[in-house]
Parts: sequence; structure tokens; C-alpha cells
Amino acid sequence: MAEHRFIGQNYTTPDLVAKVTGKAKYAEDFRAEGMLFAKLLLSPMPHARVSRIDTSAALALPGVRAILTADDMPEPADSVDDTGRVIRANRRAERALTNEPLYEGEPILAVAADDELTAAEAVERIQIEFEPLPFAVDPLVSLRPGGPAARTEGNVWFRPPTPPAEPSQPPPPQPPIDVRDLKWTAEQFAEADEGRLPMGEVLDEWEYGDLEAGFTQAALVLDETFVTSNTSHQPMETRTSMAYWQNGRVYVHCSTQSVVQTVAAVSRWLGIPQTDIVVVSEYTGGGFGSKITSAISLVIPALLSKKANAPVMMRLTREEEQYVGRSRPSLHARIKAGFSKEGRLLALDFFGISESGPYEGGQDHNTSGRIVSLLYQPVAMRFRGLGVMSNTPPRGPQRAPGGAQGVAVMEPVLAKAADRLGIDQVAIHRINAPEGKAPIGGPLPQGGRAHVTSAFVKEALDKGRELFKWEERKARSGQRTGSSVRGIGVAVSAYSAGSIGFDGLFVIKPDGKVYIQSGIGNHGTESVIDVHRVVAEVLDVSWEKCEITWGNTGKHMPWTCVSGGSQTAHAMTRAAHATAMDARTKLQEIAAKTLGGSPASYRVAGERVSGPGGSLTLAQAAQKAIELGGKYDGHGAPENINAFTKRSVAALAGQGLLAVARDTYPRDGISNSYVAGFAEVEVDLETGQYRVLDYLAVADVGTVLHPRSVGGQIMGGSLQGIGHAMTQKWVYDQQYGVPLAKRFYQTRPATILDAPARMEWAAVDIPDPETPVGVRGVGEPPVGAGLAAVANAVADAVGHDVFRRFPVTCDVVLTSLANGRRVTDPLTANI
Amino acid sequence: MAVIRDVMPAFELFQPATVDETLGLLERHGADAWIMAGGLDTFDWLKDRIKRPSVVVDLSQMQELRGIREAGGRLEIGALTTLTEVAEHPLVRMQFGLLAQAAELVASPQIRNQGTLGGNVSQDTRCWYYRSGWSCYRAGGNICYADSPTAINREHAILGASRCVAVSPSDTAPALIALGAEFVLRSGAGERVVAAEDYFVGPEIDITRMTARRPDELLTTIRVPAAFAGAQFYFEKVRDRQVWDFPLVNVASAMRLSGGTIQQIRLAVGAVAPRPLRLTEVELAVTGQPRNEQTAAMAGELATVGAVPLRHNGYKILLMQNLVKRAVRGGPLRGDGA
Amino acid sequence: MDFLTWGINPWRQPVLTHISWDLFWASLFAGLMFLVAHASYMILAAHRKRSAEETDAMEAVYKDLPHQIERHTLMARLFHWVMAAAMFVLLLTAFLPIAGIRFAWVEWHWIAGLVLTGSIIYHVIHATFFLDFWSIWIGPKDIPELKAEILRGLGRDVPGPKPGKYPLGNRLYHMASVVVGLAAAVTGILMMSRIRTPLVPRNPYLFSDTTWGITYLLHGAAGVALVGLVIAHVYFAVRPEKWWITKGMILGWITRRDYLQHHDPDRWKLRERKAPTAAQF
Repeated sequence: MAEHRFIGQNYTTPDLVAKVTGKAKYAEDFRAEGMLFAKLLLSPMPHARVSRIDTSAALALPGVRAILTADDMPEPADSVDDTGRVIRANRRAERALTNEPLYEGEPILAVAADDELTAAEAVERIQIEFEPLPFAVDPLVSLRPGGPAARTEGNVWFRPPTPPAEPSQPPPPQPPIDVRDLKWTAEQFAEADEGRLPMGEVLDEWEYGDLEAGFTQAALVLDETFVTSNTSHQPMETRTSMAYWQNGRVYVHCSTQSVVQTVAAVSRWLGIPQTDIVVVSEYTGGGFGSKITSAISLVIPALLSKKANAPVMMRLTREEEQYVGRSRPSLHARIKAGFSKEGRLLALDFFGISESGPYEGGQDHNTSGRIVSLLYQPVAMRFRGLGVMSNTPPRGPQRAPGGAQGVAVMEPVLAKAADRLGIDQVAIHRINAPEGKAPIGGPLPQGGRAHVTSAFVKEALDKGRELFKWEERKARSGQRTGSSVRGIGVAVSAYSAGSIGFDGLFVIKPDGKVYIQSGIGNHGTESVIDVHRVVAEVLDVSWEKCEITWGNTGKHMPWTCVSGGSQTAHAMTRAAHATAMDARTKLQEIAAKTLGGSPASYRVAGERVSGPGGSLTLAQAAQKAIELGGKYDGHGAPENINAFTKRSVAALAGQGLLAVARDTYPRDGISNSYVAGFAEVEVDLETGQYRVLDYLAVADVGTVLHPRSVGGQIMGGSLQGIGHAMTQKWVYDQQYGVPLAKRFYQTRPATILDAPARMEWAAVDIPDPETPVGVRGVGEPPVGAGLAAVANAVADAVGHDVFRRFPVTCDVVLTSLANGRRVTDPLTANI
Repeated sequence: MAVIRDVMPAFELFQPATVDETLGLLERHGADAWIMAGGLDTFDWLKDRIKRPSVVVDLSQMQELRGIREAGGRLEIGALTTLTEVAEHPLVRMQFGLLAQAAELVASPQIRNQGTLGGNVSQDTRCWYYRSGWSCYRAGGNICYADSPTAINREHAILGASRCVAVSPSDTAPALIALGAEFVLRSGAGERVVAAEDYFVGPEIDITRMTARRPDELLTTIRVPAAFAGAQFYFEKVRDRQVWDFPLVNVASAMRLSGGTIQQIRLAVGAVAPRPLRLTEVELAVTGQPRNEQTAAMAGELATVGAVPLRHNGYKILLMQNLVKRAVRGGPLRGDGA
Repeated sequence: MDFLTWGINPWRQPVLTHISWDLFWASLFAGLMFLVAHASYMILAAHRKRSAEETDAMEAVYKDLPHQIERHTLMARLFHWVMAAAMFVLLLTAFLPIAGIRFAWVEWHWIAGLVLTGSIIYHVIHATFFLDFWSIWIGPKDIPELKAEILRGLGRDVPGPKPGKYPLGNRLYHMASVVVGLAAAVTGILMMSRIRTPLVPRNPYLFSDTTWGITYLLHGAAGVALVGLVIAHVYFAVRPEKWWITKGMILGWITRRDYLQHHDPDRWKLRERKAPTAAQF
């Protein structure tokens, strides 16, 4: 994009030096006068009731200051959304501490003491007894007739019907979701013995097109069962937090993906107004969706701090992180797919069970269905899905939640179809690929189907085929040399990539610099800085003149999207663009007022606003803005901006030219981004081990905003997916319902040394037509592509009857090859 | 009493500078003393508060047990030599490449920089049930959680199990056995030398310990005799992740050939049994045989005679067969073979 | 000294794992102390034997009895010695490792346990259907004998009463062995599901932690008790004044004089039975 001065160019982000030199302060690095440390007592059982707690011996220990229990937790409070609608709180929602733990490792109480060692000793001295309750660590076990339920009330969430409105009254709020027990029949389970996922009653369902006709016309019908693994987020920084109270305000130092939006979450969790909360998070050591608005566990130091009347730091250990740190839910899927002889997907019957953990969240199967409907554009499709609770750690969104699982279970079916029909893998992806304003998801209530803003998947596949030298590699795939055989795989992936309607805010001060307020979290994607390149671009200001303030809501931030769902780059470039346009307009107006002429006759460029009456430097314009006051220096603010932004504007008013705006640009469609992944593997038939020789990801993420960041996201996401394909998983003991794999060396996420020998990325770099800068998000789609491209490459090398669950480990490959078919336990969860 | 993990409790720390000082401490504190070398096994136990020694003897200050020297063709490796030093030492690489290969495949670069050879052979098992701190046989209780109808035992033993089905996780142990190494143990009462394969103890003999080292003894030196210097070596480790992972199965062989005939061979396998196994029967069977595919296949078959798979580890039989095959063959199957 | 050893289960609940092995040392010590005390007493104190005249007089009455009187059939003796061998294997394999002598003991232990169990089953059937089942039991009618034994032990000359086939000490010992031996055998059989054998599938979750705890406690307690009992048994077997009984267990018969001296012919009636002949051996 040659016409851009900043967009699409590499640069060094201002947070980099601190990060690589260790000067960056993460939540754990803050200290406050008189700070105490907290330690947790965790549930030893997957489901139990606390029957007795005796803390006397703990409290008697010198240095122990306070103990917080579930009884100190605020009740979940109803909330009101922007439109004034009441949202009823879910009384069964997760709280930070509980007396009825629903998974092993759930926090029961917390002790604050002068130091961590004392706090730990105190925890050990607590006499606590539990009454064990029935538990389930396998969704299918829970669905069996007479099977155990994860919660006393049942094993699935459902939404009770909203009662009808009273005459002349506003409609009553929707009741909160509730729990009930759902069981399938023994007859339905008969299939499980043959390794096929049984299909019983589900709660989520939609359908479009004529499924039956599709299957009738199909030249090939496949019926496959695939199971993905639960995978913990495992960010390098655990969700540590520190809190203290001053004049009725709580200051929370935490690890979060989204700084501004965390205020709202903390307000909900603590039951205090947003104006009494200051969130500080300058650097976050990763989140992958598990820290979108930080973590509910920060309630513990916040309340302990109040109780002990001293700042409290709670550093979470790696083991605690494994428990409270969220996970991607596994997907048990059964896929019946009918293909024409050209490979077109005529009919798709998609059935998926999410193991959703004990609390809300983890209903990833719904997104799996949507993403699959988008990626492979089935002519007719039925989606059926169910989230089944289990007594395992709570699930949360993880980098392409549902998308990655959907791709993982669908891609091997596509690859097998290509093999059976004698079609090239790339060709079968291409013939089914979404294009332009492609439809997505099930029928809308008002009829028809939603569509995306744009899709250039075919372009990505074509570019990848070229760059990867697909045909060349294809010639040698499947060839055996001694005990080694190579295979190639391609997979496509998609995920939501942008929201709209947020605010931007910056001040051009009389020193001529642009002071940009960034409410985005700094969790490694660099969008916290990158999106503001748009301001420099639009105003034609040198980047050195742009100062960015981030990481502290006490420093007056604009209302900002959550950094989740790959929204930020899209949403906040729009807001940045709108705000820069506001600045431009104001500069033109100030110039016109000062130098004469019409605002439209002035141009903003080269750090000046110039026109018929001459020109002003930005510094001069800023000074003029202060003199003019009103909207120019922030003493007046537009009506349509968020209340949060308004407060920040009021606080910053009078310092210079204040630019503020809400993104009101139109958008037709839902923004999604796409990745096509290409992998070549070499499988060792004597050991079952395989390595990824080469990996290429080609992204369709709209305009490339910052190549290094985009590359980082693509490579990182791909590697995360490759880890899901190859090694990462949970292991649970079925007898006691407790995890066995708790540490990195046991849960086995991919490390940097697991990265393919060669790994590259490219982007089609076609602007999205529905957003001013053309930028879409990038964080999520690489995961599914990495995962499934590797799986397809393995299948290409050793055959399509080798694995049916992820990760695909050497034992699976070895035993399947020795037996000539898949022999590993297909359905048991967490083995 | 509630349980808390991942916080190291207080203990008395000693950092002796000499072997004699260390032995004095071990004598004084007996079984209450915990010997720590690189700390990679130790810190897990201590942080989880499962093993709670009152005294920790940290060997990190003891320079005399570091380093590798040659003495009449054989190597004397101080027990505290790091795995990185072992893997990179020119003498090891040139003459005893088997050990260098094994050391190089341990865990991750960071761990190899910190972990010692003595620690690698003396480390405790990684059975995840045992490491959870439950009262299993190995922890002094009376149950094996890893061998039950529902246990997840993909990484457990197929051979040599007795009540306990945990496996020896060491990568260097099979290599040292194959090289015919000797381990020197010192105590206040003097010095004793045990053959590498006798250093390891199975649960049938002692279910709570992995090695023959008594609590009052210190592993000071690992001697690698000249016998197999420069011989034909083969080492392979199969693991899930290519870094920072314990072996699913590993194999080490040292071989001398005469023409195409196997004149002398030592062969050991790790992670299939509670102790690293020297495959003496296979050694006997292949000695004097031509080194070919047939001999390799026979070796593989023979190696796993008597193996009993658990619910999830049947693949280890196939894997062990194939790795033994490779160890005899000298590598993976090459060419266009079937 | 603790009597019990506790562990924690995966739910961090305390579970009883076994008795404290301190009890083994206590039992060993008690057994040996009893042995020393008894032997010293027998040597130093005025222990009284029955007067020889009493037996002489009886010899005159029971002249028609053969010289060798069968006390234990071949099968009974075989049972005894097989059981004894199994018991020694069991105790040695159980306690030598605890005493610090390490060897692969588990297989020996459970195989010996099965042999013991088998022999017990055989013995129960044999004793029920082929032997005088009640001759080994004790009851209120034994009180006079007990009183007399105690008084003789205290150095008083007391005549009669005499036992039937088995002296009271014998029967008391048998009683203790029945209780302890059965406890050990039954619990031992259950415990086989905790180890790997070719016989039963391994299932450590057959019972609850509590049931297992009690099982291990009983097995351990029985084992420890057997240490004391076996020491006492062996000790008496080699004592000179009991040697005739030991010989009887080896050869199967006792002399007429022993019969008359130590037994009450009315309580151990031989008349309805044929005297044994050498041909039976």
C-alpha cells in the first residue's frame, strides 16, 4: 500500500524496549505501602459442599490479617444495558469464592497475611471438611441414563421463557439462564460402542436448505466422529492482581486484555459504580481470550483489601492458573456430509457437544456451526448442538472459540472427501470457499441469513498454492522413503474480526504533539498502539509527534471495545479514523476562524493546516483551540459518545485541541477474517512421530495495518493451533474427577522449539470494503488453520483412518497403522 | 488440614562446598536431609509441599564434582556436571557420542543448563498420580492409582511393574548403561562403585526409591569406561513434544562390529519400566549375528517378551520393538523398503 | 508410638493406609520377651509336673491299648506343615522388607497366601467332616483344666483334670490362630485386587477408601499378631516337655504313656477306633 505513510509500514512500538529489557511493569510488579499477600484454599473435590470451616488456628498465626470466604461475596446483581434494558443476574453464576465447589481447584477461601509464606502456612492450618457430591468429568457420561450431573440441579443451561408483559407495562426482563438435567436414552447410546458419537436431544438447532435432497444428490456421503481436546489458555502471566481502596475508590492492578471494559466488569463483580473504579494494566502477559475483561479472581484481593484495610496482592501460581485460568471447551462432533462428485458440499448435518464446564460460557458449539456454515458454504445445512456441563475448570473464549474446533472437526472430513473423490485438497476448499458477501449462520428471525462484509478466501488459497509450491510438494507426498513418509495439508479458517460503534479521543497540545488516549489493553497484539497509526496517517503527522497514553483508566480513556473476538484492529481503527476526521474538521475550522476563508478550503498535511489565508502549525492550532474553548478544547462534547468518554473529555478539557468521536461509519455485513494454512509433515512410521517441515499461512485480514504485528498474530495463532493438533490436552482421572496434567510439561502447549522448521506468512492485503481503513482483525483465524492443516497433512501421509481425536499423538498413529484402522478410545473425554 | 500447593515451605538450607562437608551433613541429618543438585526435580516436590524435608543440602557450591576429565581412556564425569556441559564436551562428543546425544535430548535448553548428570539419573519418576501427592505405593501408601480400570496410564510401564507402574524418566540412564558406566557413591563409611544398571532399583525391591543410593550416600562421579569408546552408537528418544518432554520410550545401544557381524553390544531402554532396562537377552541373542533387518526384527520381538500393556499404553510395545530394531539396525529404515 | 499410618486420597481426605509398622517391632519384642520370661521361669521356678504314679496307675488300667496311638492323620499333618511353610514364607516376605532387607517379596507373599488359604479351606472341610470337629474348641467345661494348669504353673501339686485330644494350651492357640489366620487370609484375598496378578483383574476401587483402610488394618494387625503367635508356637514346639506333641505332629502318633499322662481317656476316647498300625505310615 504505497500511498500510505504509516498504515502497512513496520515501526517500533513504544512499549517494546520496556518489554524486552524487563522494565515493563506487570500487575505483579506493583507495590503499595503496607501491602499484604493473599493465598487461596482450593477445593480438593470436583463437586462438594463445604460442611465445616475452622479458621481459628490460621488466624492465630502471627502475620495473618484477614480471611475471606464465600459469605463475603456480593450477590450477583442485575445490570442495565446501554438501552436501559434490565439484565437479570444469573444467580448460579460463578463467584470468586464458593461453598459449593464445582471443580477441583475452585477457590473456597483466601487468607491475607504479611507475606506469602505465612498466608500459605495459614491455609494449611485451616480445618475444612467437604461433603462430596456426584460429579461428571465427561459430557457423554453425564448424558447417559442415570449419569451424574455436574450441578445439583442438572447438566445443561437453558433459558426459561420470558413471562408475557402485563397490559400497559413495559415487557418484563428476560429471566436469567437456569440449569436443568438432560439425559439421552440407552438406545441412542448404542452407537457409542462403535465409536460414533450418539445423537440425542439438543437445545441448540437451526437448519436451512433441503438437507435430504442434498444427501440424495451427493456422490459421496461421509459420516465421521471427531473429538477435540480441552486446552487451557496458559498465558505466560498468570492472572495476578493487586487492589487497594482510597476515598471509597478501588484501584485494581490487574492483567487484562481490555483496560476500559474491565471497569464495567469490576463494577459488576464488586457491585460498585464504575466511577469508583480505577483499573491499571499497562502490560499483560497474554490472555488468548481468558482475560478479555480481566478475571473474576481479582474480586478476592479487592474484597480482602477492604476487609483487612490494607492493599492486597494476590499472585496466582501456575497451578492455580490451570484451575481458574479458563480453557477452550472440547467439541465432540458428528459430521454427516454429502459431496457432489466435483467436491461441492451439498448437505451438511453438523452435530456437536461442547464440554462447557460448570459455569456459563463454553457454549462454543454454536460458533462452530456458524463458522463451518461460512467456511464451506454448504448448500443445505442442519446444525444441532448442546453444551454439557462438567466438573472441570470454567471455560472461556479462547482464540477463535468454537471456530477452531469447528474447523478441526470439519477439515478432516473435507480432506477425506477430496481423497475419496480424487480431487485436489486445495481444489475442494476452493470450490466450497466463501466469496464476497457470503452468507453465514442459520436463518434469521426476520428471514434470510446474515452475510459477511467480504471474503477473499479463494485469493488466499491461490496465493498460498503458489507460495507453498503446492503442486511440487504434492508430487512427493505419500511417497515413502524407508520409514518416513511425507504428506501435505491445507485448511481454511475464519473468525469474527471486528465490531463497531466505539469512541476515540486525543488532544493536540500547544507543544505540537498529538496525545492519544488508548483504552485498549496491551496483551501482546500491539493493537493498543497500532490502531492509532491511523491518526498519524489521516492528520499526516510524524509518528514521533504522537504520544500514546495507555493502561490506566485514571488517565481518562475513551470508551473502547473489548479486545476479544479480534475486534480491536477493526473497531478502533474506525474510531481512530472518526476521531482523526474530527480533528481535521476542527483544525480546518480553527484555521478558517483564524486565517479567514472556508474550512473546506484548508488542508491538513505536513503537521500544518494550510489554506488560502496561510497556515497554522499544529501547536498554533492547539493554542487557538484553547482560546476558542467549547468543542475545540473539550469543553463541549458530542452527544453520541459514551458516558465513559464524556467523563474523560471533561477531565482533559482545556489542554489543547481535543478530538473525540464515535465510530458511526456504516457497515453492511458481519466482519470476518480468514486464513488458509498450508502444511507439510514428515511422519515416521516406526515411531508414529511426525514433524511439521513447513508451514505457510495466507491471511485475508483486509488491509495490513502493521505487518510485524499481523505476522506475529498469524505465526503465534498458527503455532497455538499446531499445538492443539499435535500435543496439547487435558487429562482427568475419571474415578476422582481431578486433573492429572497440570503443569506445562504435562498439558504440553506448543513451545517455540516446536515451531515448524520453516514457517511463513503472507496476506492478500485487500481492504475490507465496509470499513474506512480496510482493516479487519487477525488474532483468531490462524488457530484453526494451523490445527487442521497439520491434521490434514498427517492424514495425507498415512491415510484417513488413523485418528479421530485431537491431539494426534504418536501412539495414535502407531497403533492405527499397526491395526489398519483407528483403535484409540474415540469418545472418552480428557484422556 | 487443608492442602496448598505451589508455595515452597521453609526449611534449613545448607550449601556445602566440599564432599566431606556434604557427607557430614548427610550423616548428621540422615533421611531428613534432601539432596538437591540442579533443583529441577526438587523444586516441584518442595513447592508442592509433598516432600517436606527439614533440611535441604544444595550441592550447587560444590565445584569439585563439576567437570569432565579423562583418565586412561575412561571418562570421569563429576555428578554435578550440567547436561549442557556433557552434551557439548569434545571428549564426550568424540568418544562417547551416545551420552552426548542422550544429554542433548533432555528437556529444554534452559533445563539442560541447570540440570546435572547426577540429577538426571537420580531423579524421581514423573507418574502424575504420584506427583499429585496421593498416598500411592511409591509414596508409602497401599494403592496404585495408575493401574486401575479407569486410570490414564499412557506414559506408564509395560515391563517390570510390581504394584507400582511408574517409569524411569531419565534419558541419560539408558545411554550410561549401554556404555557400561559405573556410578561412584561416597558415604562417611567410604566409597562404593555400582554398575549403571545396578544403580536403579525397581519397585519389587524398593517401591519408594528409584536408586540404590542410601540416604547417607552422595553420588559423586560417573565413570564411563573406555570399552565402548568410539563404538557404533544409537540413541533415540520418542516424546510428544520435541522439547521439554520426558521420553515415551528411549533406547540406547553401543555396538562393535566385525565385518557385518555384531561382535559386542550393550542395549538399554528407558521409560518402559520402573527402572531403565538393560536388554541382556537381546544382547546375547544378537551377538555373533549379522547386523541386518532380520536380526533387528528378532531383537525387537525378543525385547518385548513378557510385556504387559495397561489400558492406554499398548503402543509402547510397538514403539519399544521398533526402537530396539533401530538400535540394532543403527537407524530408521532407509531406502524404498516397505 | 502411633498405632496407625494415615495417608491422603486424591480428594485430600485422610485415608487409613495400614497399621504402624512399629507394631511389628512391638509384637516381635513381645514374642521374644514372653519366650525369655517363660523359659526363665521354667528353669528357675518350681514348676510342677504331674506325679508319675498317677500315670503308672492308668497304664495298668489301659494295658490293652497299643503302644503307638494315632494323634494326627497323614492328611492332617500334611496340612499342618504346608500351612506352617506358607506361614513362614508369608511372615518373612511381609516383615523382612520392613526390617530393611529388600527383595522382591510380593509374588512370594501372595502365592504363599493362596497356599495358606487353600490349606485352610481344606482343613475346615477335613475337620468338619472327617475329624472330631469339636475336639479342638474350648468351652466352659475347660475351666477346671485351666484352673489346674494355672495352679501347676504356680508350683502347686494338683491332680487332674486332663484334656481330651488337645491340651488346653493347644486349643487356646488354635483359637487365636483361627481368628487371626482367617482375618489375614480373608483380607489378603481381597487385597489381591490391589496388586497385579494373573488371577484377578486389578481394581483398587473395589471398595471405598474406608473399607480398604479397615482391610489393610486387619491384615496388618493379623500379620503382626502372627509374628508373636508363631514365635510362641515354635518355642513350645521345641520345649523338652512339649516335644512329645511335636513328635506327634511329625510322626502322627504318640506313645501310650504320653496318651495316658497328658490326656483324659474319657475325653479322648480311642476304643471305638482301631489302633494305628505301622502299615499306615
